[in-house]
Amino acid sequence: MNPNPFNIDPQRARDEVETFRRKLESGMQTLREVGPIELGVTPREAVYREDKLTLWHFLGEKKPTAKVPILICYALVNTPWMIDLQADRSMVRNLLEQGEDVYLIDWGYPDGADRWLTLEDYIDGYLDRCVDVVRTRHDLEAINLLGICQGGVFSLCYTALHGHKVRNLITMVTPVDFHTPDNMLSHWTRGVDIDLFVDTVGNVPADIMNWAYLTLKPVRLNQQKYVGLVDILDNPKEVENFLRMEKWIFDSPDQAGEAFRQFAKDFFQQNRLMKGTATIGQRTIDLGDIHQPVLNIFAEQDHLVPPAASRPMGELIGSDDYTAIAFKGGHIGIYVSGRAQREVPPAIHEWLAER
Amino acid sequence: MSEKGPDFVDQYQHFVREGWDAWSRQMQKGPGAELPGSEAMGRLFGGLDGYGEWLRSMAGGGPFSGMPQGAGPGMAAGMGGFPPFAAPPLGDSPEVITQRFEEWLKSARDALGMPGLGVGREQHEEQQALLRAALDYAEHYARYQALLGRVHERAVEALKAQGPMGTPSDPETLRALYDRWVNLAEQAHAQAALSDEFREVYAAVVNAQMRLKVLQQRQVEKLAQQMGMPTRKEVDSMGERLQAMRREVRHMSGLAEEVRQLRAEVAALRAAAAAPAAKKSAPRKPATKKAGK
Repeated sequence: MNPNPFNIDPQRARDEVETFRRKLESGMQTLREVGPIELGVTPREAVYREDKLTLWHFLGEKKPTAKVPILICYALVNTPWMIDLQADRSMVRNLLEQGEDVYLIDWGYPDGADRWLTLEDYIDGYLDRCVDVVRTRHDLEAINLLGICQGGVFSLCYTALHGHKVRNLITMVTPVDFHTPDNMLSHWTRGVDIDLFVDTVGNVPADIMNWAYLTLKPVRLNQQKYVGLVDILDNPKEVENFLRMEKWIFDSPDQAGEAFRQFAKDFFQQNRLMKGTATIGQRTIDLGDIHQPVLNIFAEQDHLVPPAASRPMGELIGSDDYTAIAFKGGHIGIYVSGRAQREVPPAIHEWLAER
Repeated sequence: MSEKGPDFVDQYQHFVREGWDAWSRQMQKGPGAELPGSEAMGRLFGGLDGYGEWLRSMAGGGPFSGMPQGAGPGMAAGMGGFPPFAAPPLGDSPEVITQRFEEWLKSARDALGMPGLGVGREQHEEQQALLRAALDYAEHYARYQALLGRVHERAVEALKAQGPMGTPSDPETLRALYDRWVNLAEQAHAQAALSDEFREVYAAVVNAQMRLKVLQQRQVEKLAQQMGMPTRKEVDSMGERLQAMRREVRHMSGLAEEVRQLRAEVAALRAAAAAPAAKKSAPRKPATKKAGK
């Protein structure tokens, strides 16, 4: 009786393992020769600093042709360098090449001193002051705001509250409905006692956040990925790209406790943005107050922000000028894939140019 | 395959470990060696170890060699280290281990029911609460692991059900078979992870862990107080007050700016109001001068 239900030739299997072993062996040399990994490759200057935050202005090779700059508001989780990972995978660089003038909020790494920062401090405070800095630098009443993931939620809230300072709003992989049936993260969060959690851990350690993300696809992200790495170990450039992504994934900031508490409870657990009951400070966020043109880009294979979580945005905002783009890729691929480089920045540029 | 398998798989295992040791030696050479972070390499070899275990299970003593006898403890044992989660314990069957754990849990809970007496009564109660929280956490964690174990079993069952169909889509390499298993494992995980049961168990284990941590922190706080050291509670309290003051300062700065702007406006209005009077008086000035001459 054949104990193996699959018809895999034993000799071939042994050869396969031997090949794998050889690749791993020779790959050690490649790993030894990989130099320090850097993220954030486009030249930039700091134009504003406050606490841990830095507002960066990117310097393109040519002068921007766009009259209104874009301010990118990234999420608090992970660092923002995923949008400027390397020269040939950089949304920032591609936007600059399109003629856009790009600013980015780098929230930095919160520590114990930032434990009590609330969403109001982030949105009505830091974000608003960054918007003002850009407005002042360009002598403009309103600028273009581009929010990514949680930063997209921040940007929606901000625009609803400070609409006169936003000319056009772009959101990428941004959820508005946190209770879609396929939203695993939200599903898990809903039974957790968030108050107990934050009261206990204070700032939420990045390792806990990373663990939660890895367990969304546990085998693929903890094991298969590294098996796949062996396939490219003979290619130093590919290995460097792999390690760069690893660095980005695991070099992540802790989450300020109070802001996390509010985000997890109001958005993940109670879905208050969708219901129109979310509050920032004393003010209620009504997405119907957003009358600016809105471009919403989501990823069709996004396991963190499923498309269904983002699609309802068009029905909730007050603007008649709403465009949705479904990108063929995942939550990260929308920034770093080859397709993304070709499709996303030009789409943003063209949409802005028409307005 | 199962007869010759362990030979090459053992070699592979040996190599992975040897590679890791070599890597560790390199890392110990100190600064100057330009190497990626050891953490990343730890993840790499962690993942590869899992793959090695999977290969071993394929080569012998694993789920497929156990198939004719059906799924059972042997299967679970063969899958040790297979997924990064829910590694079933080797040796006794899960049922036996669960039974032992529950017996131990019951006796531990009974022992914790004894009331404290005398001067150390309060400390005794605190210690009991801490131990109860630890037991509670262990119980919920076991439920979580059992749930993940079932997910894993479902993936294996699905892979077995796919069997050889004699079609070109049959995997011809270990790697193709592994990739297929990964897809099935992720599908099984996603299905379970979105269930109400998973949500309840996940929340229960997190909440139990936090309840335990709170009590641990309380013990550390007491110790810190006794040693005359600042406690986390005190630092947090100061941080909260500091943040409230910063908001107030921001608010006052905003008000100060508003006052500055209002003053500027008032000054401009005053200047504008004074201007007509100045204009009226302006012609008379030269006349006076003339008169003076």
